[in-house]
Amino acid sequence: MRVTVNRDTCCGSGLCVVAVPQVFGHDDETVVVVNEPEPPAALADLVREAARRCPTGTIRLLDDE
Amino acid sequence: MSTEEPIPYPFPRPGALDVPAELRALRDRPVIPVVLPSGDRAVLVTRYEDVRSVLTDPAVSRNLNRPDAARMTSNNKMFQDEKMDPDPPEHTRVRRLVMKAFTATMVENLRPKVQEIVDELVTKMENGPCPADVSEAVAFPLSIRVICDLLGVPTEDQDRFRGWTDRFLSTGKYSGPEIGAAMAEINAYMGQLIETRRAHPRDDLISALTQVHEDDDTRLSEYELHWWCRLLLLVGYETTASQIGYMVAKVLAHPDQLARLRADLSLVPLAVEEVLRWKLLNGSLSMLRYVTEDIEVGGVTVSKGTSIIPAVESANWDENVFSCPHEFDVARADNHHLTFSVGPHFCIGASLARSELQIVLETLLRRFPDLRLAVPVNELGRSEGTLIGGLLQVPVEW
Repeated sequence: MRVTVNRDTCCGSGLCVVAVPQVFGHDDETVVVVNEPEPPAALADLVREAARRCPTGTIRLLDDE
Repeated sequence: MSTEEPIPYPFPRPGALDVPAELRALRDRPVIPVVLPSGDRAVLVTRYEDVRSVLTDPAVSRNLNRPDAARMTSNNKMFQDEKMDPDPPEHTRVRRLVMKAFTATMVENLRPKVQEIVDELVTKMENGPCPADVSEAVAFPLSIRVICDLLGVPTEDQDRFRGWTDRFLSTGKYSGPEIGAAMAEINAYMGQLIETRRAHPRDDLISALTQVHEDDDTRLSEYELHWWCRLLLLVGYETTASQIGYMVAKVLAHPDQLARLRADLSLVPLAVEEVLRWKLLNGSLSMLRYVTEDIEVGGVTVSKGTSIIPAVESANWDENVFSCPHEFDVARADNHHLTFSVGPHFCIGASLARSELQIVLETLLRRFPDLRLAVPVNELGRSEGTLIGGLLQVPVEW
């Protein structure tokens, strides 16, 4: 899985940061940053749920298969 | 469609804890003409996916400062200010400065403090007269203390700002001059508070925003600073407080669901999401928007210049997304309701509200094994003529 984000649309809710802190963080402007663009398979479900819950559809996922 | 007689919106509610009867069959059509309290016309978007797409569509603007845009009410311009651009990217730029104080991480760090306040208020309620009104005993004092602490507003001023909020969010309860006078008072009050924090900064949001403005006024102008500080205070507590009142009443009104919760308090976060899905606060009038380019909604063309309301309460009731939406299910899974909206205007206080709701519900159920409503459900009254429409009282006994 590969994680990308659209920094223009991020509203900074931080739901992803709390859900998967290993993968998502905030910069000084409260805009999402991806700390781990290729998260381990063990985190895949959490990352998918974070993408589903993102209020602005900012998180994009590319699956391996 | 333009010849069709529009139906009045928001819809009437049969009882304080009921959703409008209109919700049941609303999604038969994706777009429905409505008439607002102002007498102006708009269209209502009814289906979940369409509501989501309207809320995230760049061709749908929140800026209603246009000669042909519908007004929510005839005498109150709530949230509209010709000097403030409510659309991205301008809105997003400023909103990010404010969002810092409300991120999910900040709210997680605040949880022990919220729990401490709830414990204190619940103990006071327990030691006071029974029955008690949860709204005045817990809901309002909690949400007011939390927002005042975050912003840096003295809680002892609440007798003043509660009156201003009531007028700011009036949809008919107050006259234009009454609303105008209250807005002048809040302007003066917040102006003075900002000056105080400018001279003596503290660890609060008003001080932090004032500092941002001082450092670089292209990031936050004087006008924007005042506007945001006022808005956060005016809308920062009554929504949460009213939602807490509805949550307690709704859970206590369903003995079977209450028993499930009591048997497993780990369901509390899901129960809170279910209460939010029911959207017992007023409908989606405040979601009013304006279409700037022709768009397609559920196969229907909505033309440029149309005023449009994405009906969140209808989306939350969409049978294609929620199984048995009319059932109150405290363990509902995959509950992706839209009560906090989506897109660039996603509720800034969503995480904070969730945390307050969860902590209040868990604490009340834990501390009072026999908590119950002290009046029949049909005697619960709602506040009329304001945007939020909370319960007047939530009398409970234990």
